[in-house]
Amino acid sequence: MGYIEDYLNQLRTELKGCDPALLQDALFDAEDHLRAALATAQAETSEFSELEAFHKVVERYGSPVETASAYREIEARISSFWPPESRLSSRFPAGRFFGIFGEPRAWGAFLYMLFAGLTGGVYGLWALIGGAAAMLCSIFIFGIPVAGLFLFSIRGIALLEGRLVQALLGVRMPWRPIFIQREIGWGSKIKLLFTEMQTWKALIYTLLQLPLGLAYSLFIALAMALSLSFMAAPLLELVFKLPLELFGTDAFTPVWLLPVVSLGGIFMLPMILHAVRRIGKLHGRYAKTMLVKR
Amino acid sequence: MGYGIDANKKFQKELNSGTAALVLLSLLARAEEPMYGYQIAKRLESESGKLPMMKQGALYPVLRSMENSGLLASHVDPSISGPPRRYYHITAAGRDTLKSWKAIWDRTKTFVQVFLGGDHD
Repeated sequence: MGYIEDYLNQLRTELKGCDPALLQDALFDAEDHLRAALATAQAETSEFSELEAFHKVVERYGSPVETASAYREIEARISSFWPPESRLSSRFPAGRFFGIFGEPRAWGAFLYMLFAGLTGGVYGLWALIGGAAAMLCSIFIFGIPVAGLFLFSIRGIALLEGRLVQALLGVRMPWRPIFIQREIGWGSKIKLLFTEMQTWKALIYTLLQLPLGLAYSLFIALAMALSLSFMAAPLLELVFKLPLELFGTDAFTPVWLLPVVSLGGIFMLPMILHAVRRIGKLHGRYAKTMLVKR
Repeated sequence: MGYGIDANKKFQKELNSGTAALVLLSLLARAEEPMYGYQIAKRLESESGKLPMMKQGALYPVLRSMENSGLLASHVDPSISGPPRRYYHITAAGRDTLKSWKAIWDRTKTFVQVFLGGDHD
């Protein structure tokens, strides 16, 4: 196994400075392939020593330098495919302001925040209820496996959230399974769950998603309600005779002011999207620190 | 001499960057069940008669980027006894793309062949 570890370490060095998610992908792929190939090579020809077999395997897989350059190239091609904030590069301030409507990341962040109340609620409640149950069980003999299962589920949630963050916020997140070393028993796996920093960071993240997600969804709901009701103010007040209700007080707007109010509502939409994109970016960065193993 | 070898390598690499995706896509379109990386590499080797077109390690980032663009989908099988593996399969979008890529490939092949002086008709 030492040869594979050495290879992986070299690959890690070669990919230094790369996106941590890319590094994880590369290490995962290489480890899986090299293990399988080495096992096959040794089974096929027994006259080779392990080192010779490993050299043959690497000859076909590629040296760490070659493998690293293959990942870097693909990564460069992908990022040039989706230049970040491509449509906001207009020379005119108005173009930049309204260009947000054509910015996929803003809409992604909008969706993410809209549903964050729901997902965050589920994560947070599970972390709270499951955590309390696991702690209660810890006074019994079966407490450790139950706590292990709970932590395992938290890591699972972290993976799921990672996919969501990548899809909607456009931040690269890991695709790596929870247990990197596979030939260990369940006892050691549970121990790993407890000792890995990653588990506790994921737990904190899931707990914090409860208030954070609710705040996101509330923000979207309130901001959208305000913008839409401003926009529809002339229709509501003149046709349906409905007053604008602001902070608990009903008020009819003077007719001359109605177009201004409506225009204000229209301007609020891109402002909301700009804010959402910024929040999404920040949340993506935060999720990456909490959920990706460095 | 060194320059020549480097230039050849570079040319091969540039060609591979496009063809690898096409080859992987058609291989997975023919596969009856999802395949993992090592299996794909082995299949390529056995079907091509060990033509050393590209390093096996370079296949993996292509697989991942194709999954990112929706041409392939994958799942990790967390087996208890052996190592968990990422199994890839082609998506409906992948099959559509393969059709148009095949057409592009045929046109490219014919075009190149005209200038290489091959006996095309």
